[in-house]
Amino acid sequence: MDMSQISPADQAKVQVMQEMEIEMMSDLYNRMTTACHKKCIPPRYSESELGKGEMVCIDRCVAKYLDIHEHIGKKLTAMSMQDAELMKNMTS
Amino acid sequence: MEKTHEKIDINQLDKDQLKTFSDFLISYNRLTEMCFKDCVRDFTSHEVKETEVKCSLNCMEKYLKMNQRVSQRFQEFQMIANENAMAMLKKTGK
Repeated sequence: MDMSQISPADQAKVQVMQEMEIEMMSDLYNRMTTACHKKCIPPRYSESELGKGEMVCIDRCVAKYLDIHEHIGKKLTAMSMQDAELMKNMTS
Repeated sequence: MEKTHEKIDINQLDKDQLKTFSDFLISYNRLTEMCFKDCVRDFTSHEVKETEVKCSLNCMEKYLKMNQRVSQRFQEFQMIANENAMAMLKKTGK
């Protein structure tokens, strides 16, 4: 993309949006780590190595967490779009 | 023009460094809280027991290893998502 064709105001907007997205991703990552730690690692620390079962659990946990994230995102967008539509119909 | 651009870059670097440092401090505190909760249960003495120290250190090490694995998987998923987005873009662009 050629950035010189976009106005400075829009460039700033894009940058803020990108920063927000990065922050959102890191928040997602942190929440996922906490959730999967809680679900996969029993609080008995007789060993510092990850067990085989724990590793499998973590892999599945990450996959499922991101899958659910996507599903919720889709539904949320659909619902908010429906909402916006409804509001538009009410005002017109 | 050249100079202002450089200045922005330096500020950006400082911001990133600060962010990394603050992330480190936050995860340090969280690790302490978590491992303390899981490992220290006996308050009949104010001495930290050998087993409690061992448990806490194992807890920390295990958490870091877990974090590493989560990060690997996360990156894999992101790469796939990026590839899909690129493919979609190509399809709609043409």
